[in-house]
Amino acid sequence: MNESLLEIVCCPLDKHDLDLEVIQRTDEEIAEGRLVCTECGEEYPIEDGIPNLLPPDMRDG
Amino acid sequence: MTNEDNGERNGNDFADHVYQPAEDSALLADAACEGIDAGQRVLDVGTGSGYVAARAAETGARVVGSDFNPHACQQARENDVEVVRTDLVSGFAECVFDVVTFNPPYLPTKPEERSDDWMERALSGGETGRAVVTPFVDAVSRVLRSGGVVFVLVSSLTGLDEVEARARKAGFETEEVAEESHFFERLVVLKLVAAGDPDRPRPP
Repeated sequence: MNESLLEIVCCPLDKHDLDLEVIQRTDEEIAEGRLVCTECGEEYPIEDGIPNLLPPDMRDG
Repeated sequence: MTNEDNGERNGNDFADHVYQPAEDSALLADAACEGIDAGQRVLDVGTGSGYVAARAAETGARVVGSDFNPHACQQARENDVEVVRTDLVSGFAECVFDVVTFNPPYLPTKPEERSDDWMERALSGGETGRAVVTPFVDAVSRVLRSGGVVFVLVSSLTGLDEVEARARKAGFETEEVAEESHFFERLVVLKLVAAGDPDRPRPP
C-alpha cells in the first residue's frame, strides 16, 4: 500500500485514525506491516501490499 | 515458465473465485466515468477484478478499490489498483471520497441454493437480491464528501423501486443515468446525490 492511503482509512470498529508500523518497505510501497488503531489498539495486518481492515472476527477465509 | 504463462494460470485461478467483468461492469464503468473528474478521489466498492476501478483511474482520478474477497484483492492489485480488504466502506474515513462506485452482488438466491464459496458471495444478494446493496446504501454517506455522488448498479431482478426507496430513506435523491436490457433483466445505473446538494437531480 502507498503511505498516502493512511489519510483515507480508519479503524473499521470505532472509526478512529490508524498508525502505520512498517515491517518491509519496497521502492514503491509498504509490502508488510501493521495498521494500529490510535484509540482501541486493534492491529490490522498489511500483507503483500494489501491492508486487511476486516475486524478480527471476520478475518478468517 | 514465462510471465505470460504465469499470468494466464493466475487468471484462471482468479476466474474460479472472483467475478470477472461482464455487461454490468461495463455499464457501471461507462456511466461512472462520465461523472468523474481528474484529481477526484474515487472508491470502487466490491472491486472484484478491479475493472471498474481501473477504468475510473483512466480519467486521472485517484482510485482505491475495496473487496471482502482476498482473491479479488489480489487480482485488483495485479491490475494496478490500490486495494484495501474491508467490508463495504467500513475501513474508510469520513468525508474522503468524491465518487463511490459499486456493482453489488444482486442475484436473488434461495437459502437452499446458497453455498459458501467466494464466487457465490460475489453473485448472491440473498433472498431479496438486496442483502448487500441495502447495508451499502445505509452506510455510504459517511465516507462521501459534501457534493459527493454514488454510482450503483441495480438489476430489475433486485427491485429497482425498493433500492431507490432505501436510498431516499438514507438521505439521497436518485436518478437513473444508464440502462441496458438483457434477456432476463434490465440493468440500471443509479446515481445517488445527497438531498440538499446544489447539483442534485432536479425533479421532473
